[in-house]
Amino acid sequence: MTDPASGPENVSEPILKVSNLTQRVNLGNDTLTILQGVSLEIKRGESVAIVGRSGSGKTTLLGLLAGLDTPSDGEVMLEGNPVSRLSEDERAALRARRVGFVFQSFQLLPSLTALENVMLPLELGDYPDAGRRAKELLERVGLGDRLRHTPRQLSGGEQQRVAIARAFASEPVILFADEPTGNLDNQTGQEIQDLLMALNQEQGTTLVMVTHDETLAARCERRLTLESGRLGKEQEAAA
Amino acid sequence: MSASKKLGSVARDWRERDVKVVLSALVIAVATVAIIALFANQLQRTLVTSASSFLAADRQLEAEHGKPIPQAWRDEAESRGLRTARMVEFSTMLSHGEQFQLVSIKAVSDAYPLRGQVEFQSALEGEREILEHGPRQGEVWLNPRLMRLLELDVGDTVEVGTLTLRISGVLVREPDGGFNLAGLAPRVMMHADDVAATDVIQEGSRVEYISLFAGEEEALENFYRWLKPRLEPSHEWESIRDGEALSESLQRAERFLLLGGSIAVLLAAVAVAVASRQYAVGQRDTVALLKTLGLSSTRIGRMYLWRLSIWGLVGMAGGLLVALPVFAFLNSLVAEVLEREVPFSVEVGALAPALATAIISLFAFAYPPIRRLRHVPAMRVLRSQPGEADSRAWTDIVIAVVAIFGLVWLYAREVVLVVALIGGLAALLATLALIGWLMVIALRRVSGGGNAWRLALVGLYRHRRASLSQIAVFAMTLMLASTLILVRSSLLADWQAQLPEQTPNHFLINIAPKTVDEVEGFWEQRGQSLDALYPMVRGRLTEINGKPVRQVVSKDDSVNALNRELNLTWMEALPQDNRIVEGKWFEEDQTEGVSVEAELAAELGLEVGDRLGFTIGSETITEPVTSIRTVQWESMKPNFYMAFPPGGALEGLPATWITSFYLPEDRKSALNDFTRQFPTVSVLEVDHIIERIQEIVRQVTQAIEAILALILAASLVVMAAVVSATLKDRQREGALLRTLGGRRSLLVRSTMLEFGVAGVLAGLLGVAAAEAAVWALQYRMFGGEFRWHWEVVLPIPLISGVILALLGRWQLRPVLSVSPMLLLRRLE
Repeated sequence: MTDPASGPENVSEPILKVSNLTQRVNLGNDTLTILQGVSLEIKRGESVAIVGRSGSGKTTLLGLLAGLDTPSDGEVMLEGNPVSRLSEDERAALRARRVGFVFQSFQLLPSLTALENVMLPLELGDYPDAGRRAKELLERVGLGDRLRHTPRQLSGGEQQRVAIARAFASEPVILFADEPTGNLDNQTGQEIQDLLMALNQEQGTTLVMVTHDETLAARCERRLTLESGRLGKEQEAAA
Repeated sequence: MSASKKLGSVARDWRERDVKVVLSALVIAVATVAIIALFANQLQRTLVTSASSFLAADRQLEAEHGKPIPQAWRDEAESRGLRTARMVEFSTMLSHGEQFQLVSIKAVSDAYPLRGQVEFQSALEGEREILEHGPRQGEVWLNPRLMRLLELDVGDTVEVGTLTLRISGVLVREPDGGFNLAGLAPRVMMHADDVAATDVIQEGSRVEYISLFAGEEEALENFYRWLKPRLEPSHEWESIRDGEALSESLQRAERFLLLGGSIAVLLAAVAVAVASRQYAVGQRDTVALLKTLGLSSTRIGRMYLWRLSIWGLVGMAGGLLVALPVFAFLNSLVAEVLEREVPFSVEVGALAPALATAIISLFAFAYPPIRRLRHVPAMRVLRSQPGEADSRAWTDIVIAVVAIFGLVWLYAREVVLVVALIGGLAALLATLALIGWLMVIALRRVSGGGNAWRLALVGLYRHRRASLSQIAVFAMTLMLASTLILVRSSLLADWQAQLPEQTPNHFLINIAPKTVDEVEGFWEQRGQSLDALYPMVRGRLTEINGKPVRQVVSKDDSVNALNRELNLTWMEALPQDNRIVEGKWFEEDQTEGVSVEAELAAELGLEVGDRLGFTIGSETITEPVTSIRTVQWESMKPNFYMAFPPGGALEGLPATWITSFYLPEDRKSALNDFTRQFPTVSVLEVDHIIERIQEIVRQVTQAIEAILALILAASLVVMAAVVSATLKDRQREGALLRTLGGRRSLLVRSTMLEFGVAGVLAGLLGVAAAEAAVWALQYRMFGGEFRWHWEVVLPIPLISGVILALLGRWQLRPVLSVSPMLLLRRLE
């Protein structure tokens, strides 16, 4: 780990602090409130599952936490940085250094090979020797023999492995996952869960994920439930 | 509704982006080709009409043997919907009291002129009027110089033969004034029905009977087919294209229009090809879905054929809806430039290439990939195995090449043009393949980083398949556009050179050897210098290698030059604009030999060394051909079929001298003094012909600029269409890069650089291929000489780089303005 602030000795310090987060969208004359006064704290190295029905605002919340979008109201502090008040480019710089993503629909670029897809964030971050690092990661996720394959030539599970390799490539302190097993069958979903958890452990990354998958939610340390844009009572999940 | 119908429904398709791109490409293709074809067609008609006034008709039938042309022929023409008129031309003495003057009479019927106008003044110092008829019976119009010479005025009477005619006006200009160095007595115009009463025309008189015809091109052609077997050797059927001075310019303009049209066809094919190919490849998932739903391959095939047909129809209808108003607008512009009514007529035949282009390129590019997909098992459609992807694409390429080749051939039917364009494109693609290979080698080692340049190069390498095909399309587009630009510039330069400012516009003919110095002195006093003076001896070519010409040249190839006396000359130096194509020009002190004009030499099958016999008066001289040279007939300078060396046999024969010079409009009164002082010298005024040609050249130039503008607009649209074909992928990539933390400015710079580099590359390739195509075209079609065009070669790659960089920036727009979260969801 390169960041002195991370590591087990700082576990009690919140990496993410959210206060009174509200997101509204205008639909013609109507205003639809997607998130309403959400406040939460996530500690360094924690794994948190955000659950809730479809349309309860999970993905929106994730997007705001990651600084992909700006809230109508409230504030997100990521490692002490006021994400919602940063400019787009400052947020991008923050994402490049500290944040990783895994999406439900993988979001691999179809024209690039597995290797090239994993190299993308490394190249943006001006990482020396991006190719070797990407190759190591793909080997770590079990795709060492599929480096030159394009997403079309990979199964869903394999594509998600590539996406996970990409997410960990820039050694993020926090990883956001949006239904990472949502598009996969049980067996494959299980494998992806294992991989995600294992990498999380190895790299000491904070994990925040939105999921419908009960078993995945159960493997997280905390579980936040969203109901119609409000945070329900928090349950401590697995010990 | 059955599943296949539902999936095949056009309304549902319309919401697909790829379909919209295909339909837009179809509309653009049909519209561009239709507009250019219609416009070219219209222009050609307008130009020919405006040039036709040189004949006062669309066609002339001349009889040189002194026998009238049968009335039945004109009746036949009229029954075919043509308009006709007749003329009689002869030379005779005109008298007024004691004064006599040799004049050249043109007697015209009521319908004269069928094309063009007569310029007329009702008094010597009166206003010019534009008329569309000749004098009435009993009246006569005289050339103003003749009136001054004989001190006549409007209202006076003159005698032609035994007939007395009243002068009712001054003939300033006749539309078919012509450019003939023979028979240059002052012009008098009278009515054709008065000719018999003059008693001038006897058996064997030198009279020329001429019938004029005007009407639809097709009717004219049909009539000629009817007429041809009835013609005798002394009959001559003339169209404006036979006129030496103008025909070259017109032919080149027509060829330019043809080239423009062919380029439009190619551009349109490229646009539809790119779009439909993109669509077809994007249909994998649908085909797979249909297969899993249990649809047979045949039904899938049929469904797509049906769909493509519907779009074809929608695209064609849309294209025509766009084309017709634009054409109407262009038409009104032409009318404005020409300052006269241009009828709005849509030639249905001109639409055929547009529709054929759209349909053929749609099916040739969209159907083969789909057809191949339907034989592939559903699972393999959904997930391709590495390496198998495009193994059978070569059949597609063959189909595409045949389709494009066929289209251009269908449109142009000009081998050189098709070969030049397609050859240029092939060379371009071959070079591109090489560049692609070099790119793989050179860029493989480049790795990305926070640096925009490196990211751009990595981007080029990563997307090499897409980049190369985009570069290919851009390069082709640029090649087509630059070909047109290059041909246009050289065409305009040629025309400019052909008739520069101060082109000699007056000829002095029939100058007796001993008055040459006096004539020169006369004009020098008035500040006008004469061009070179040439001696001129009139004679006929009668023998080739000892055999009579009539035997050597069969009757069928009627060689114009043999029907009349030729102007023979001797000269020391080769005129500047002539070029030796065979043999050698006369050496100093050489007194034997003759230099023959190249076209005539070809018609007669002459070669260097053949011996030609000329009959001049009662003398005969025989000389070997020592050189063959080309002549710029359209240069409006004295030009000669046959040139002899000075000091040879010709020089001993009685000759007169000819020269030309430039006389500005405001000095024309000097001609009156000149004719009074040198009554035997004929003055040929060609200033109005030159003005006319310059005017036509101006019109053609404007037309060419308009077509060029259309093509350039179409090229931009094609480029935008190509960029938009990968829009979705690019935007997803942009959104992802931003999610992964790419800064906006980095994204913008690397994208613009990547597109800019592709643009410069495409520009270089396109310009190089264009130069190759122009070299072929220039050489074979436009008869000019090739040179590099740095003024085009240098800026075009830069411009194309900038345009593409801007297009790249433009497609990035939503990526920059919308939150990446939203964009990723939208693009899913």
